[in-house]
Amino acid sequence: MRLDLTTPGLLGLPLGWLAAFFVVPIAIVAAYSFDVYSLNPGPHGFALTAWHDFLHSSVYLRLFWKSVKLSLIVSAVVVALAYPVAYYLALSSTKRKYVLLLLLIAPFLTSYLLRVLAWKVILGNEGVLNSFFVWVGLRSPDHPISQLLYSRFAVMLVLVYVWVPFVALPIFVSLESLDRRLLEAACDLGASRRVAFLRVTLPLSLPGVIAAFLFVFIPTVGEFVTPSLVGGTSGYLYGNQIVDLFQTGFPDWETGSVLALFLLLVVAAFTGVFARFLQVRQVA
Amino acid sequence: MDVALSQNGKRALRVFFCLLIVFLYAPIAILLIFSFNNSELPTFPLSGFTLHWYHQFITNPDLRAALETSALVAVLSSIGAVLLGVLASIALARRRFGGKAAVSALLLSPLVIPYVVFGISLLLFFHAAGIPRSILTVAIGHIVISLPYAILVLVPRLDQIDVALEEAAADLGASPLQTFRLIVLPLILPAVVSAFLIAFTTSFDEYAVASFVVGTRITFPVYLYSALRFPSQLPQVIAVAVVVMVISLVVVVSAEIGRRVAERRLSL
Repeated sequence: MRLDLTTPGLLGLPLGWLAAFFVVPIAIVAAYSFDVYSLNPGPHGFALTAWHDFLHSSVYLRLFWKSVKLSLIVSAVVVALAYPVAYYLALSSTKRKYVLLLLLIAPFLTSYLLRVLAWKVILGNEGVLNSFFVWVGLRSPDHPISQLLYSRFAVMLVLVYVWVPFVALPIFVSLESLDRRLLEAACDLGASRRVAFLRVTLPLSLPGVIAAFLFVFIPTVGEFVTPSLVGGTSGYLYGNQIVDLFQTGFPDWETGSVLALFLLLVVAAFTGVFARFLQVRQVA
Repeated sequence: MDVALSQNGKRALRVFFCLLIVFLYAPIAILLIFSFNNSELPTFPLSGFTLHWYHQFITNPDLRAALETSALVAVLSSIGAVLLGVLASIALARRRFGGKAAVSALLLSPLVIPYVVFGISLLLFFHAAGIPRSILTVAIGHIVISLPYAILVLVPRLDQIDVALEEAAADLGASPLQTFRLIVLPLILPAVVSAFLIAFTTSFDEYAVASFVVGTRITFPVYLYSALRFPSQLPQVIAVAVVVMVISLVVVVSAEIGRRVAERRLSL
């Protein structure tokens, strides 16, 4: 086989792959959502029924809003936890800061499901935490703290736990590349540390913060794995609704496609607005 | 004077850092402890040391089959993602062409799609195309997911390499393919290896997309997810969890160290 190293030769395979297995599949979801394709037999044409029903259904939209809120809170908490740590590693001239950074990020490199499992083991009614409380005499065995698992709180706790290590990295990078002479100049000109932080460091690290925020928000807003494992009914999210529309005994692919496409559009719009902070453009 | 941090501020942040590390590692440590605990339920007080759960998982055929399936899918998809990634990265780093911004946006766009949406898209696509779900359909999806990561690792490495080396090779009569094989490939090898490892671990751990397109041979995360619903399997799942976590930590950390060492040597 001769490898073709012209530009079309180089890009043909990667772009072809994405066209076939990424773009076309999304187009098929769109086709289902407009009833061009359908699970039901019979003739079909373009119809907006499913979209109309979706936009007028309080159930789906309320669930979507619940997911967005939860995901925004999680992203904010994650960034708030990761920022001081990244700041410490990047600016305190600690020795071995890369080793400490690796220590911080390492949990992210282990299995996602297994980290969720760890919390399931810890938070359950007959889990580590409750049995520990009983053991040391803080609770009676008949009255475990039952809200620990299968609640919205559990979903948020686990999502924060899962994403903190990941988010430290972009914030660390933006703080590390900060020119320290700017801070020295600010101090020479009479700024206190606090003022120097608020008016120099924070604004300059904002791109990293926004990138970090997006990197958490995008995967969590459609999250269905964590809620289905630790969320119970009160932690049921939009992502779970999408999955259920495709996988339960009474699949409704039209409605499911509308929900999926709506999520994709919102995320795409969100990404578009903040894309200049994502710094992936440097690759181009 | 330290312009970034006061002494007290530094101390406070150090404490905060330690607390966060405890928060991150305590659950993993708890899994480790209870994987050796001689009880069906993960509860205090601890009831004695056992290797029973480890033994049980080694002899569990379903679990081993799932691990093997995942390894196969991960190998297939990481080879695919790295191949496509190398091609795309050379085009992005070395060629001028119209619409480059749009092309790179498309190549990186799988980074920002919610996996539930992508999983469903693939499911509907394979359904419409009449392709039965199998190991291959999972690998196809994982290549799409891993491709942007491969590109993000490879392009910066290509940018570091002096183009004059490739031009010199061409001047001396090397064909483009020879230049690639003898000059470019050895220089980007550390990045190729780390792209491969990232793709491998991503695929090995991926549940959301796999859950939609997996066939009768299920992958390890899909097995794990279903096992999590049966409490009786919990102890041995915890044991597997510990093994997988330790292996992936060792592999990824040593790969990262290896890459840094190799790149430092190559840049001298």
